[in-house]
Amino acid sequence: MPSTVQKVNFDPVSDILQIWLRDLPLANPDIADPLNSVALVDGEWLTLDTNYKWVRVTDITSLASIAAIKSFPCFSERGRTDRLGMSQKKTTALFRGEYEFDTRIYDSAVGTAITTVMQPLKVRTIAIGPRNYSGLVGHGGSGDTDAVVGFVTKLPANNGGKLRFISGYRV
Amino acid sequence: MSVPATMMNELFATKLNSSEGKEKIAEYGGSYVRDRLREVSFARKVIPPEQVTRADCQRSVNHDTLVKIVDIEPQSRAMSITFRGKPTARFIRGARAEVAFFTISSEMFQKTEQELLAYEMPITKVIEENSVKDIQEIEDREFTIHIEASVQALQTEANGGTSKALKGGTGSTIGSTVEFSVRKGELARTTATTSTEVLAVQRPDFVNLFKLLDGNRLRSERLLMTEVDWDDLLQWTVEDFGDKIQSETTVDGYKYNQILGKSYIRTIKTDILRPGNIYVFTKPEFFGKFYVLNNTKFYIDKIANQITFQAWEDVGMSVLNIAAVRKLELYSGDANPTTDADGFVAAGNFIPLNEEALGAVNNRVDAGLKFPQVSQY
Repeated sequence: MPSTVQKVNFDPVSDILQIWLRDLPLANPDIADPLNSVALVDGEWLTLDTNYKWVRVTDITSLASIAAIKSFPCFSERGRTDRLGMSQKKTTALFRGEYEFDTRIYDSAVGTAITTVMQPLKVRTIAIGPRNYSGLVGHGGSGDTDAVVGFVTKLPANNGGKLRFISGYRV
Repeated sequence: MSVPATMMNELFATKLNSSEGKEKIAEYGGSYVRDRLREVSFARKVIPPEQVTRADCQRSVNHDTLVKIVDIEPQSRAMSITFRGKPTARFIRGARAEVAFFTISSEMFQKTEQELLAYEMPITKVIEENSVKDIQEIEDREFTIHIEASVQALQTEANGGTSKALKGGTGSTIGSTVEFSVRKGELARTTATTSTEVLAVQRPDFVNLFKLLDGNRLRSERLLMTEVDWDDLLQWTVEDFGDKIQSETTVDGYKYNQILGKSYIRTIKTDILRPGNIYVFTKPEFFGKFYVLNNTKFYIDKIANQITFQAWEDVGMSVLNIAAVRKLELYSGDANPTTDADGFVAAGNFIPLNEEALGAVNNRVDAGLKFPQVSQY
């Protein structure tokens, strides 16, 4: 089942000082606008376009869209004024390094259900409330060819409704 | 006092072994060939920055960011009435706008202690000093994008809410597009071709630019132009200058700090303010705000033999009165980023280059291009 979106949707539970955070412009700066109906929120997953800008890794207009390439979680809450204050609407994502985070941007029921600790995770367009996001869903394991972006470390039922996961990439 | 740069590099590495040594290291000397001229911020000359503290700012209730809320002058008017009449009422309301803060940082420089010893110039000090100017370059880039957005927004409003191309030459739109805050220069208006070629600024260009501002209960005070466009002033004839100034200019160049009664700012940063674009501004109090929350800080650390250093500042800038800036374009091509009628903007003309492309290297030493060489004509 989907989570609930709040002010802060993506919280670190491991040291983030050693993570390589990368600030890059959004290819579509309009999604930095907190009033945009599809505004980017923290915990959504981004990837790079050919201009070295962030784009959502899935097409959020389609619930069937699944990320086939490497993606990076957004670490900027919706409407942050440090992003709105600059011309390029640069957005922070966790680019390199290992991390463990709690996220609200997941759906534990869609596709392969998230049911077990250390289950791999992938990114797919999910619906939370009235709109769609690029968020985490369960990965099907060896028979699933979609990119893995992390592994469950704590199930939402035992973590106040948030999904805890560690990073880890595999195609 | 002067010490050899090699000694400075050794000292730099040595001092970093102690906690006291991690303070900013002062040093001297060293001769090296400079790649380019670095210039202080032109944005700071248009809007002098104001230092603010945490106490001056407002916190967000949604995330850990700061803004400063600025009041905008309220509207008021007077009216003539009869002895028995009463004036119309105005329920007072002043608009407010927020200026958001963000960080401008240098790169995070890294070097090993051993490799540092291989330099005879004080490379760390050079980078430290240059970083301040590099940070100010980004200030200027942000500022330039903001003022360009301002003039285009006002131009769009004047054209009935539609963003219209403004171009001369083939398929000219001059006459059909209202030139309210962006105007083409005299030569760009009459040229037969549409191109990116920057044509020389004429005396009437300045006057017409001033009139864009002066006709709206504002007064033009300061011009911003590139050194390239300023050079074209030196081509003005005796009809423009009169024989006294013409004689002076021929010998000394144009030495006055005003042109046609307006002060001007020249910049060599032609990758940020692109040649052919001249802006005019009101006094800062009519225009916008530039706040500095944290002046440039310099951090340096050493872990084992790895030296790391970085500089950054926290600033906020905003054009709060978009009517207080107007623009003159000295080329015939369309520079409106929304319409981009000729594809010139997409091809990298007229607007500031990307951050990564700023300050392209002038010298070609890494490519082996220095002379004399063995193979040479």
